[in-house]
Order: sequence, then structure tokens, then C-alpha cells
Amino acid sequence: MKPRIAVFSLTSCEGCSLAILELEDQLLEILGAVDIVNFREGMTERSWDIDVAFVDGAVSTPHDEEEIRRIRERCRTLVAIGACACLGGVNTLKHDPARPDYRRVVYGDRADWFPTTRARPLSAVVKVDAELPGCPMVKEEFLELVRCLLNGREFRLPPNPVCTECKKLGNPCLYERGEICLGPLTRAGCRAICPSFGSVCEACRGLVDGEALRAGREAFNTQYVVPWEEVVARLRLYGAVSENAEPVAAPAAGGGS
Amino acid sequence: MSARILNRDELLRLIDEAARDRRLIGPVRHGEHTFYEPADRAAELDLEGPPCVYSPKAHFFPPEETLLTFERKSRSFVTRTVRHETPTALVAVRPCEIHGIRLLDHVFGAAPADEGYLARRRATFIIALDCIHPCRDEAFCGDLGTNTAHLGFDLMIRRLSDAEEGSREAERFELISATEDGASLLSRTRLGRTVDRADLDAVRAYERSKASAFPRRLSCEADRLPEVAQRGYASAVWERTAARCYSCGSCNLVCPTCYCFNLRDEVSLDGKSGARVREWDGCQLREFALVAGGHNFRAAPAERLRHRVMRKASWIAQRTGLPGCVGCGRCDRACTAKISLVEILNTLAREQDHDHAGHS
Repeated sequence: MKPRIAVFSLTSCEGCSLAILELEDQLLEILGAVDIVNFREGMTERSWDIDVAFVDGAVSTPHDEEEIRRIRERCRTLVAIGACACLGGVNTLKHDPARPDYRRVVYGDRADWFPTTRARPLSAVVKVDAELPGCPMVKEEFLELVRCLLNGREFRLPPNPVCTECKKLGNPCLYERGEICLGPLTRAGCRAICPSFGSVCEACRGLVDGEALRAGREAFNTQYVVPWEEVVARLRLYGAVSENAEPVAAPAAGGGS
Repeated sequence: MSARILNRDELLRLIDEAARDRRLIGPVRHGEHTFYEPADRAAELDLEGPPCVYSPKAHFFPPEETLLTFERKSRSFVTRTVRHETPTALVAVRPCEIHGIRLLDHVFGAAPADEGYLARRRATFIIALDCIHPCRDEAFCGDLGTNTAHLGFDLMIRRLSDAEEGSREAERFELISATEDGASLLSRTRLGRTVDRADLDAVRAYERSKASAFPRRLSCEADRLPEVAQRGYASAVWERTAARCYSCGSCNLVCPTCYCFNLRDEVSLDGKSGARVREWDGCQLREFALVAGGHNFRAAPAERLRHRVMRKASWIAQRTGLPGCVGCGRCDRACTAKISLVEILNTLAREQDHDHAGHS
């Protein structure tokens, strides 16, 4: 029997859900191998008999929290997709105690109408079986996860930082231009898309691990005039580190169903 | 070995001639950088620019390549070897890079030989470009003697006019062959002229100028490096330096003598077919020495850093008789944590001098 797949969105732009629909060349093949039973961006049917649920978005409201608990109960395998679901994403910017004006800017005098909590990754609320980080998630990585699920193979995120991909692609290093790129701290898998187009990495795929963060602090404190705090501030954009500069929990390892 | 003297126009014609039945790859400029990339004509190459950001390693040993494809039939399992070799003229390869290629030849040529590598290697005609002065501050090829190469290429270009206060008109290149193929291209094309007495003076001036142009950056003689590295095994330098090592593997991946790789299998959605892919790996990456069962033989960054330096300064040379490090300085340049191989080696040498002084 074909696995029953569902895709859900919490607080996010739903760009990661859309990335699935952008797998245009592989879509028919995927539909031949799985049944999609619930997908707001792609269909009207709604079934709650689910084998694998893919969820994008952060848990950022009381409603999100109810929703993710309900999804967790109804599926066997839960996969977080995208920076918001894996790290909290840009939603975590609202935590900045120095910027209480964010809600007023967005919602004006009606801010109180919209209950909001701290933006958290799915793994802060429920058990997550696999994570596909990135803003948006890397659709080829989604495809690889599906291949692994169908073939009973272990799925793993690349254990190396973005620098390995720049080197394999033959990119010149942005540090040579005096820029501070977060590539050495960030998990690979995006084919270094930002540095390849001349923009610094902003760590949307999260930290490669805590050890790199410790090394980075030492490197900046001893070798650079740029203060480490500035690097940490950049790491907060997608929630790769929490406010106290601790690594956000490393993505779940396994992906088997 | 034969040699001829060519002017600039003749040199470009010679390169175009070498690339007549081959793809041409050489330094192509993008902004301030050059990269080994395909070009249509020799005139498109930047023979004066800085050395390429990356060594030509990727041409022989691609960052990622499919080695074989497999397919599950009803009762059988079929594999098909994938080969990619295109006759290529690889131009303006620096002496240090020639030494790097010689090491790769040794490693991939040793039994069981890597036929894919060897096929690409055999299909490549190499025109080297000698350096008369160091290309960048990080280089220490002069210490290691890898700023000069006598074999490992088909032809080598030496820009004799670099040693003279000459104008463009006086530009003179000596072409030296190191293989039959190289010699036969020189004699077949008959470009330029044979070396005369005045050229020999220019050759001597070139060699004199080159001999004094490379500053010494290592504080010990190159032949002492294996000993210095080994005796420094318990040094505090590893822990101290590795505290800022990201373990990003950049030093490995840019190194002309790093040849480690990983294999992974890609399987289709229906599980019926797939491919075995080889990709670059590096000993500084955290999971490099991770084995089944979860044990990591070099779990600490300091152990990984020491491993790399031991290999470059000692172990590779001991095993192969070839330099494990060619002094190009790419590792130092690539390190965003500013870890320097030269500094580590000099620290070890200094520590041992102190020890020695203390005991005497």
C-alpha cells in the first residue's frame, strides 16, 4: 500500500509547502509512489488518516500548538520542513526584547486581537522524526527523504558546513572580500546557494553543530575586529541560536517510518 | 628533453595547437581571481594573472562524480561503470600544482589502480608555467623546493623576459619538454627557434633571479619537517590552535595533495535503480573518522588538526617519497579562523629548539 502523505502549515509563508509543488519534473513520479491525502496548498480533500506528515511554520500561537499536537497524534512520522518548523525561523525575531514595537507595526491598535506565544520549532512542542531545514527547504532534500522513506533507508542531513559546498563548487571565499559569511557555522545541503550568487550565508539551515559555534567564538575573539556578538546577532535571523547564543537543538537524526 | 624559444604570439599558437584535438582548460579571469576553466582559444587565458584560486585537482579528481549506475532487473542486478574522460590540454599549471598531481598519480595509480583517474590523467596534455617569484604571501614552496618541477608535465613555459627589464616586444618564452608528447609538439609545430647563446644567458639570469626571489618562511630545513612534526606529537599547539577550528574542511578541499573521498549510493524513488557517487571528503570534517557503531577515532578538533599536519609534514612523504605538502599556502588562505600550517610548523620547531637548549 502506498504511504499516505499530508502537508500542513503553521505560522509561516507556506513557501516550503509550495516548494513541494515546485518539484514539477518529479511530481508525477512522487504521486505514483505515495498518496497525498491532505495538502491545503495543493488540493481540497482533507483526510486525517496519515502515515507521514510534513509541516512547515513555527509554533507561534496557541492555535499552532493545538494544531501540531493534533497532527502528531494522527501521523506515524512527523517531518518538520523549513527554517520556521526546524528553528523557529524569522518568527523568532519578535522575541527581541529591544523591539516591542514589532506587533504594533504589523497589527496597529488591533495587536491584542491576535494572541501570540514565543515562536518555537516543532521539536520544542512535539516529537519530530526528521527535519529538512532551510528558507525555503531544499526541495531536492525533500525528494531524497521521500526516497529514503520509500526504500527503508536512513535519511541524514549533511554533517558538514556550507564551506564544503563552496569548495566543491569552486566559489571564491567571501571572507577574502572582507565579508562575514556564516557558512563555516551552517549546515550544508543548500549547494551554497547564497555564496554562489555572491551573498553571505545567513544560516537559514541552522548550525552545523555546537562545536562550530564554540570555535567561531574563539576565532572571532582572537582573530577578528568584528565582535562575536555581531555574528551571534546574524545567527538569530532564522533562529539558529537562541537569545543567549545557545545552539537551537540539533535536528533530529533519523527519518525512518 | 628539448627546448625552444618562442615569442608571445608563437606561444599562443603553440597552446592552440596543443588544444586542436583537445578541450582547452587554463586560467580564466573573473574579477580579481582566476580559475582553471574551459576556454576556446589561448588568447582567452590569463597567463599573467595570479595563480588560480583552486588547484587543477578537480580536473583529475572531480568534487563529485558518478562511478557506476545500477539497476535491479527481475532476477538480476546490473551495474555499469561510468567513465568521463575528455582529451584535454591543461595550461599554466604551476610547479607546486605539478607536485600535487604527481602525488595524486602515485595514490590513484597504486594497486588497485583507479582506472577512471588514470584514464583522465592519460587524456590530459599538461603545459606547466614556471614561477620566477612567489605568487602570494602564504606560499612557502621555496622552502620545500616545490617551486620548481622537472617532470610531471609535457611542456613547461618559462618567461625568460621576467628576469629582464624588458618591454613587451622583448617578451621571450622558453618551452621545455619533459615527455615524448611534449617534444613532438615542439618539433612538429616548429614554432619559434632553437636556443642560442644569448638565450642561454637569459636562462641563467632567470635561474639566478628565481633562486633569490623566494623568501624562507619555515624556520627549519624542509628535510627536518617529518622529524619536527613527529616530535611535536604531544605539543600544546594542537589544543591551543584547534580551539578556533570550525572543522569546516576547507583546508582539505583546497589542498592539491588531499585525495580522500566518500562514497554514497543514490537510489531511485521505486528502489529499482541508482548510482554510486564519489565525493571529496576531508580529515578535518567531524565525521571523517566515524565508524559503524558510533566510534569516532578523531572526535576532538585537536586530534584532527594534528592528523592533517602529520600527514602533510611527515606521513605522506614517508610513505610515498613525494612531498605531502607543496607549499602553495591555499590551506592558510582558505582558513577563516586564520590557522596557519607554517605557523604551526614553526611553533613546533621553536618548542623543540627550546627543549634542546634546556637539556644541554
